[in-house]
Amino acid sequence: MAISREAYRVLESIVGPEYISEDPVDRYAYRCGPGGYETDTGFGRFMTKIAGAIIMPKTTEEVQKIVKACNRYKVPYVPWSTGFFGPRSFPYVEDAIIVDLKRMDKLEIDDKHMYAIVEPGVIASQLQAEALKRGLYIVVGGGGSQVSIVANTLGDGWSPLSYKIGMIERRMLGMEWVLPDGEILRTGSLALQDDYFWGEGPGPDLRGICRGHNGVRGCLGITTRLALKLHPFQPEKLEPTGITPETGLALPPKRVKWINFTMPSKEAIVKAMYEMSKAEVGAAATKVPLFWRDIAKAQSKEDFWARWSKANEEIVKRFFVLRVLLVGYTSEEQMEYEERVLMDIVKELGGDARPTKPTDESWIKNADSAGMWLMTGAYMSVIYVWEALDHAKVQGENYAKLKAKYTPPLMPDYRDPGWFQLGEGGHQGYTEFLVYWDPDGPDEDTHKVDRYYIETMKDDIKNRSYPSLCGPQHPLYLSGPAYGPNYHIWMLKIKEELDPNKVCHPPVPLAQDKFVEQADWMKPVKDW
Amino acid sequence: MNNVKAKLVKIVGTKNFSDSPKILKAYSKDYSLAPPGMPNYVVKPKDAKEVSEIVKLANEYKTPVVPCSSGVHFYGATIPKQGGIIVDLSRMNKIFEIDEPNKRARIEPGVTWEQIENELEKRDFQVVIPLLPHSSRSVVTDYLERVFPLAVVYDYGEPLQGMEVVWPNGDIFRTGSASTPGYPDSVARGVMPAGPGLDFWRLLQCAQGTMGIVTWTNIKIEYLPKVNKFFFIPFNDISNAVEFVYRILRQKIGDECLLLNNVTLAAILATNWPQDFDKLRAIFPPWTLLLTITGGYRRPEERIAYQENALMLIKKNEYQQLNISEALPGVPGAGRKLLAMLRKPWPKDITYWEHRYKGGCQSLFFITKPIYAHKFIKCVEELAVKHCYPINDIGYYLQPIEENRGCHLEFKFFYNPDDPEEIGQVSGLYAEAAKVLLNEGALFTRPYGILANIVYDKAAGYTAALKRVKKVFDPNNIMNPGNLCF
Amino acid sequence: MPQKKVKFDVTDIENFAYDMKRCIKCAGCKWVEHTYMPGINFSMRCPSAQKFLFDTYGAYGRVRTALSMLEGKVNYSDKFLDVVYKCQMCGACDVGCKRNLDLEIQLALEAIRVKCVADGKGPLPAHRKVAEKIGKTNNRFGSPHANRAKWLPADVKPAAKADIVYFVGCAASYTHPEIAKSTARILKAAGTPFMLLPDEWCCGNPLYTTGMIDEAKRVAEHNIEAIKKTGASTVLVSCAEGYRMLKVDYPKMFKMSTSDLGFKVVHLVEYVDELVKKGALKLQNKLDMRLTYHDSCNLARLSEPWVYWEGTHEQWGCVNPPLERRRGTYGIYQQPRDILSAIPGLKLVEMIRIKENTLCCGAGGGVRDAFKDFALWTANERLKEVREIGVEAIVSACPYCKDNFAEAIKINGDEIKVYDISELVWQAISK
Repeated sequence: MAISREAYRVLESIVGPEYISEDPVDRYAYRCGPGGYETDTGFGRFMTKIAGAIIMPKTTEEVQKIVKACNRYKVPYVPWSTGFFGPRSFPYVEDAIIVDLKRMDKLEIDDKHMYAIVEPGVIASQLQAEALKRGLYIVVGGGGSQVSIVANTLGDGWSPLSYKIGMIERRMLGMEWVLPDGEILRTGSLALQDDYFWGEGPGPDLRGICRGHNGVRGCLGITTRLALKLHPFQPEKLEPTGITPETGLALPPKRVKWINFTMPSKEAIVKAMYEMSKAEVGAAATKVPLFWRDIAKAQSKEDFWARWSKANEEIVKRFFVLRVLLVGYTSEEQMEYEERVLMDIVKELGGDARPTKPTDESWIKNADSAGMWLMTGAYMSVIYVWEALDHAKVQGENYAKLKAKYTPPLMPDYRDPGWFQLGEGGHQGYTEFLVYWDPDGPDEDTHKVDRYYIETMKDDIKNRSYPSLCGPQHPLYLSGPAYGPNYHIWMLKIKEELDPNKVCHPPVPLAQDKFVEQADWMKPVKDW
Repeated sequence: MNNVKAKLVKIVGTKNFSDSPKILKAYSKDYSLAPPGMPNYVVKPKDAKEVSEIVKLANEYKTPVVPCSSGVHFYGATIPKQGGIIVDLSRMNKIFEIDEPNKRARIEPGVTWEQIENELEKRDFQVVIPLLPHSSRSVVTDYLERVFPLAVVYDYGEPLQGMEVVWPNGDIFRTGSASTPGYPDSVARGVMPAGPGLDFWRLLQCAQGTMGIVTWTNIKIEYLPKVNKFFFIPFNDISNAVEFVYRILRQKIGDECLLLNNVTLAAILATNWPQDFDKLRAIFPPWTLLLTITGGYRRPEERIAYQENALMLIKKNEYQQLNISEALPGVPGAGRKLLAMLRKPWPKDITYWEHRYKGGCQSLFFITKPIYAHKFIKCVEELAVKHCYPINDIGYYLQPIEENRGCHLEFKFFYNPDDPEEIGQVSGLYAEAAKVLLNEGALFTRPYGILANIVYDKAAGYTAALKRVKKVFDPNNIMNPGNLCF
Repeated sequence: MPQKKVKFDVTDIENFAYDMKRCIKCAGCKWVEHTYMPGINFSMRCPSAQKFLFDTYGAYGRVRTALSMLEGKVNYSDKFLDVVYKCQMCGACDVGCKRNLDLEIQLALEAIRVKCVADGKGPLPAHRKVAEKIGKTNNRFGSPHANRAKWLPADVKPAAKADIVYFVGCAASYTHPEIAKSTARILKAAGTPFMLLPDEWCCGNPLYTTGMIDEAKRVAEHNIEAIKKTGASTVLVSCAEGYRMLKVDYPKMFKMSTSDLGFKVVHLVEYVDELVKKGALKLQNKLDMRLTYHDSCNLARLSEPWVYWEGTHEQWGCVNPPLERRRGTYGIYQQPRDILSAIPGLKLVEMIRIKENTLCCGAGGGVRDAFKDFALWTANERLKEVREIGVEAIVSACPYCKDNFAEAIKINGDEIKVYDISELVWQAISK
């Protein structure tokens, strides 16, 4: 079965024949995986389908017409910016149409009021490059420099730089959004005037239904334009240097500096972060997992394994590196002041500054997410949570225990307690667990990874921690009753109200539920 | 009706219920020019469970519920438009926790500014505060309604985090990471406002009680600087003042930063009325930028030094004629005085500063790009002339937001609340100014009273979507109906 | 993962199945490397992804389509061949991917084309025509083979015996004699005797890059034999395509390494740079010009020596024995820049996408033969950068780059001059 001819003709007339295709060559080019984020999981392999067609609109008006046509002809559609975020971006039903938004690639900047208006085809490093030219900056999310800044803002969007810049939710200003049934919603200042500069209201803030900490994964319509805050940086240029693969930004030493500190314990790192937060210093503060250091130094996959195989639990236990970014936003004198305060803190806690490269390889412009696949060819993050710093510490320890039960097939990490860092001016802390396994191993290995993923949510519920991956990212009927409680009921009601024809990326937000019900290797975990 | 009464008494107890005309009348009006509206009952619950039962009851009888927390109200939002039950949350005034390492406090809606700042001051902390709120104002309400803090350094519009809410159907629900099972007996501290699933907290903001009743919230607290410098920078022209603010805030100089005209500043600083007020507003410059530079928790003098050096370098290179002083002519010790005042609510034993001049004050405020401030001021002055309102009596307040990416611009029209002519004059001026300014691009994100109609008419697409969402949460439309577009 | 034997042999696409499967769709193959990302403009280095928009036309789409074909889910079709051949094989994807991962994308794309030809579905008719010309006349233009050395000026005499043999290539022999003449004169001015092959054939690049590996091997065998017969230790080329063909693809086709060829392959710019730095060549004439240097793909990111490898894929996808990947790090980037900077009066202004981030001129991979519009479109994209930096001229080290830019400029009416670097070096030294 294919998309009905009537529907296809209507869709073709909206964009022109050049920008729609149902040729199998194109449809299979848009397949999910095999490789990619989460694509090698059972969820990716089991749930995703080949699209019935791909369509590429250029304007909001075209997007609206497409969505209305899909509603009329009951054609499921899936919003798509880059397709990088694994199976979340792909159809779960047959004969769906992928709405590829890459032609919508405008970027405008209001320098004086420090915001950018972007369309889904703009990626993070493009925006960061334009911001840096103006003495401004953004967070390039951990998803990587290559992500659509719109999609990443709606669903993830943080990095160690979130310590100073804050939650991504707060950085969204005026939005233009085609709701699942084709109505256009303009939020913030855009609701009242032709200006994107402000994000709130009027009155209750409907941005509340587009994000939810991890986003709604494309099931509540399509954001076609979004304004994002840009933040004051410092005036000196960060010069790109080096030849691939050893590239980095040369940092102006008196205005931007990373410093690595070795600390005597994990507790000392946590204490240092709390002290930094109270003293309100620093632009980023993160604990570095040991294997990242080996990734950074490795010349190849084999080189990584040669280094990593020398690691063990004892070494990991003793590897306490705190990495801090200082930025002289106001002046060189400011950076000097912050460095003195930082040294005071570190000295009090028994730490030591290490020689640190005067370059930035990752976080300011190039968030090095692609490197995560170097080690085994498969990667996903099972949790990434903003809560308090002590939550990050405890949750990390809980996850390490759970993860040990699934290692192998997960890559040995010698009980590394994950990555954690400071956020939002020190009011929050973050933890993330990245897992790797061999995607070309036996199926049972992948099935174990699938079950482990669900166990992390159950573990959170049991341990009373906040998993962040609520909403479509986990079975809704597992997390829903526990958190809120019953947040899932409100989410499903909103979905029903806004998408009465159920054509916007079905069956999200229930795709994970469907997977767990239907994949027979998930039966052992399905106890709710 | 008797059934409702009986059931309400059963929920909250006789002591916490009233339908006496005198009590009801007190809730029927507030300091705004909004027309009065009588409730049918007033109840004072003690916790979310009681609130939940009240709301469920209201659904059963399709009776409106009007939540209020503060002892005083300025915008008409808590005046019942269709009768109903006033749910007065002032008994719910506990400070549950103060979590210094995570810079968080958890408070009930009845907690006032006076209460929280006094408690936090003991620990060298504060909740960032808007401009001189009334001491009886609910902190929770003020931040739900998105007031703006004086300190521009904090890159967030409001400090709310995970909260507990009673939805319009009576369900008790926790938002953000406070939704964690067992909270607060959990690993989660409730510091994340977002999620789960949706950003529920955003739907509660500026909702004027139409989307649910918040029964406690986590809120950010910040270090209260002990070492400070306070600068006064006079300007004759708002555009010049605004340009200077753009310049320094982009370089992250300054903590508290606000622009007041002579009238507003005089109203705040005058001690002997009316002579001080008249004298001060005559001698104060048209605009004064109040700027603090604060010392951090560590090496405070050094923190002040780098900011002050940067400020003076800008003055030297770009603003040689500008007068940046720690003194305010006409008010000895003004810096020390204002520093203490601006970090606290208005003292409760002194007439509220907005009411000291004439007894009443109608504020018209909105958000705009600071470069447009002069345009709006000109509009308002022209309209004031038209309505025979003395221009020299208008109080202005411009609050830069987040390094001046936008600003809150406020016009204060003082009037005698016992004089029907003045009431009429200010009402007319306010109503016309609202329409004109909206057309000129003023962004009313907090549409109180008559603003709601004109704003929601113009934002037709937003209004339609908002109504759909409201219907999901409040199908019986019992939560403070008649407010916003509901 | 069970062990799997693999070789760097493009005649069997299964050797690159792992690489195609492990593409993570990060589009590092399309975007300028993020550290160097200039902003909203000039942000891509894959011409086909930029022009044709559908993901199908980026490497991430091509490998997925190819995999699907191997799985029997997609069949050969005009569309399939369109996707395969609308690609300049410029190496941007390979180098972009290898910034972070160890995947052989270029080899996978070569193997796809070889498979198309082996299955009788490729190449495209335009490529066949070129192959026929090479078959008949040993050059890609179909010009008389006897005229191949006609470019030789009277003032230059090749040596009967020398260490260096100058491999001229089809373009310099027939359509851009100014390059051959300049090169020959430079060598003479440097006091470097050189030989010409008595019977030089097309290097085979138009055959190899379109998947006609058997035909390519035929001409390669002839040329290698001819070079060895001369006894020269070094082959000097002035064409980037020829350079890469001899240095990289010849050993690749015969399952050996560059170091096994029995002779060194150098480009004119490498040779001249060395001479200038030694003081053996004096660039004394002033050339008053603001110009920019275009990194030709085959001289830049695709020019590292070839090392043959075979082994196994093991757990985690590790290879055994380990190998050093060709990531474009050691391309010929600096030498031409140093040469141009040494010419008095020349002001070298860099474009935005340079070195490993260069945007292909548009001509390579058989695109100019089969999709002239696309080739010219790509050239125009590159010329936008030239206009952006406001220079008078563009110089490269490949006659095909020169050709493609010149034609695009002529159509646009731009006042931008196009040079080969050999011409400028000659102008800088000639008395």
